[in-house]
Amino acid sequence: MNSKRIITLARRVVRQIAHDRRTVALVILAPMLMLTLGAILFRLEPARIPLGVVNEDEGVSLPGAGALAAGQRIVDALTASDAFTVTLLQGSEIETRLRAGTVEGVVVLPRDFSAALLRAPDRRAEIDLRLEGSNPTRSRQITARVTEAAMQTLASLAAGSAPGQATSLPITVATTYLYTNESMDAFDFIAPMYIAFLSFFFVFLLTCVAFLRERSQGTMERLLATPATQLEIILGYLGGLSLFALIQVAAIMGFTIWVLKIHYLGNLTLLLLMITLLALVGVGMGILASTFARNEFQVIQFIPIVIIPQGLLAGLIWPVADLPPLLRPLPYIMPLTYANNALGDIMLRGLGMAAIWPDLLILVLFALVFTLLAARAVRREVA
Amino acid sequence: MTPVIHAERLSKHFGAFHAVDGIDLAVPAGEIYGLLGPNGSGKTTLIRLLIGLLRPTAGHVTLLGQKMPAKTVLSQVGYMTQAMALYDDLSAAENVAFFAAMCDPARGTDRARIAEVLELVELTDRAGSLTRTLSGGMKQRLSLACALVHRPRLLLLDEPTVGVDPQLRVTFWAYFRQLATAGVTIIISSHVMDEAERCDRLGFMRHGRLLAEGSAAELRALAHVPTLEEAFLHFAGSQT
Repeated sequence: MNSKRIITLARRVVRQIAHDRRTVALVILAPMLMLTLGAILFRLEPARIPLGVVNEDEGVSLPGAGALAAGQRIVDALTASDAFTVTLLQGSEIETRLRAGTVEGVVVLPRDFSAALLRAPDRRAEIDLRLEGSNPTRSRQITARVTEAAMQTLASLAAGSAPGQATSLPITVATTYLYTNESMDAFDFIAPMYIAFLSFFFVFLLTCVAFLRERSQGTMERLLATPATQLEIILGYLGGLSLFALIQVAAIMGFTIWVLKIHYLGNLTLLLLMITLLALVGVGMGILASTFARNEFQVIQFIPIVIIPQGLLAGLIWPVADLPPLLRPLPYIMPLTYANNALGDIMLRGLGMAAIWPDLLILVLFALVFTLLAARAVRREVA
Repeated sequence: MTPVIHAERLSKHFGAFHAVDGIDLAVPAGEIYGLLGPNGSGKTTLIRLLIGLLRPTAGHVTLLGQKMPAKTVLSQVGYMTQAMALYDDLSAAENVAFFAAMCDPARGTDRARIAEVLELVELTDRAGSLTRTLSGGMKQRLSLACALVHRPRLLLLDEPTVGVDPQLRVTFWAYFRQLATAGVTIIISSHVMDEAERCDRLGFMRHGRLLAEGSAAELRALAHVPTLEEAFLHFAGSQT
C-alpha cells in the first residue's frame, strides 16, 4: 500500500467536488436550510387559543377565615396564562360560540365548585371542559394547559389558606427532571441527530454519484490499469470524502450554534467525532450501493431504500423502544441508530466517552465492514 | 531478447461467447504493432487481457518480463481506453497530474513533465480549463497525455485516433514513431486500414482469433492483392 497514492486520490476527490460549486452549495446550504426550517417549526409558539369560561361557582364562606371562591381564582389564572385569550360567557352561549368557532373550548365551573373542594370525604371538585374536538392535537393542548392552570391555582390555595383546610386539599404538583436543562427547547433535542442524519444523507449521495461516474466515464478502468490497488482506491475515497464531510459538518454545526442559537450541544469534539464516523460509514455504503446502480436516476432510487427508513426508524423521530415488535429489530442493523444513541448521550445527558464507546465501536465496525465490502465490489470490476 | 509482450494461447470466454480465442502474441521492444479488425473482433478484450483488467479463461500473459496480473509492472505501462476516461470536474493539467501521481507517486508532481506532455498534445493554453469545457478532439489529446505522462515503456492504445482530425492524426503518428525509436513498444488497435500502413507489424483479428500477422507489405504479398482491405478479406474468407 502506498500512502502517497491514497493522498493523491483523496486530494483529487476533494478537488473534483470543490470544482463543482453547485454540489458544494447543495451539500452545505441545503442542510442549513432544512435546519432553519426545523428550528422555526420546533420552536413554534402556538398563538393564544380563544377560550370561553362560564363561572357559576357560588363560593363558600369559611367561618373565621373569610370566603373561598376557588372558581374565580381559576378564571384569574386562565386569564393570566399566555396560552389563552379568555372570554366570560353565559351557560346558554356555549354551543353557539363553539359552533361559530369564536372559542375553541369552554371551561365550565359548576355552582358547587368551591363547596365540593371542601366536602368530605373525597374533597374533589370537577372542571367541566367542552371542546370543539375536530383537531386532536389542539384538544390535547387545551386540556393540558387548563389542567396545568387548575392545578397551580389549587396548589396555591392549599398553601395560602387557613391551617386545617390547607393539608386537606388533594393537590400536590411536583416536577423534577433528571437531565433536562431548563433553557432547552424542542429544537435543541433534535438538532444534533438532525445534523447527523443530513450529513449522512448527503455524503451517501455524493459518494454514490462520484463512484458511479468513475465507472460510467471509464476512469475506473483507467485507475485499475495503474499500479493503484482496490484498497488504495477505496481508502483514497474514504479520505477525501471524509475530509469533505468534516468541513460540511463543521459548517452546519457552526451555523446551528451561532445562527440558530442552539442552547446546548454537549462535548463538541465527541459530537464532531461521532458525526464524522457516521459520514465514513456513509462513504462505504455509498461505494457499495453505487455498484448496484447503472445511472444517476438509480442512485436516487436508493433514497427510499437506504435513507428514509433510517430517518424514520433510527430514533430520530420516534424512540426505538416505542416501535411495534415487528419493526423493532430493524433499527439494530442501521448505523444511524447507534449514532443517534450516542448523540443523545452526548448532548442530552452530557455523558462522555465512558458511555458512548459501545456505539462508537459498532460504528467503527460498520465503517470497516462497508469498506471491505466496497473494496470487494471494486475487485469484481476485474472479471 | 525476450519480447516486451508475450501471450500464449490466450482465451477469454463469456459463457458460450469466445471473445478471445487462443491467441499467441510476441511483440519485441520498440515495435509498433497494429491490431486490425472490425468492431466486435476482440481487439479491446485482448488489450484488457494483456494489461490484466480481465482474467483469462486460459493461457497467460507476460509483460516486460513479469507474469500478469501484476500491479507493479503497470507503472511502466500507459493505457488509453476507447472512451475518453477523464475527470470532467478537474482541469486538463489536474487530470494529467493525477494519473502521473497514480503511476509514479514519487515523481508524480513533476510540473515540468506535465507541461511537456500538455505541450506535446497542444493543450498548453487550455491547461487550466475544466475538462468538461474541452472539445471532443481536445479530450482525446488529453487522454493520450494522461497515458504518456509517466514515460511508460509500453503503450496500449485502444483506437486512439477515432474522431481525431487528419492533421492531428499525422502529429500523433509522428510522435508514436518517435517514441518507438526511443525503445517504447506500442500496441494500437484500429479498424481503419490506412492507419495500419504506419505500423511495423499487423495482426488481423476476427472472431477473437489472429488470422494473419506480418508487415503491411508482407500481408498484401501473401494474399496476392494490392490493398490491405482486400488482404483482410482474403484471410477472413480463408478462415471459414
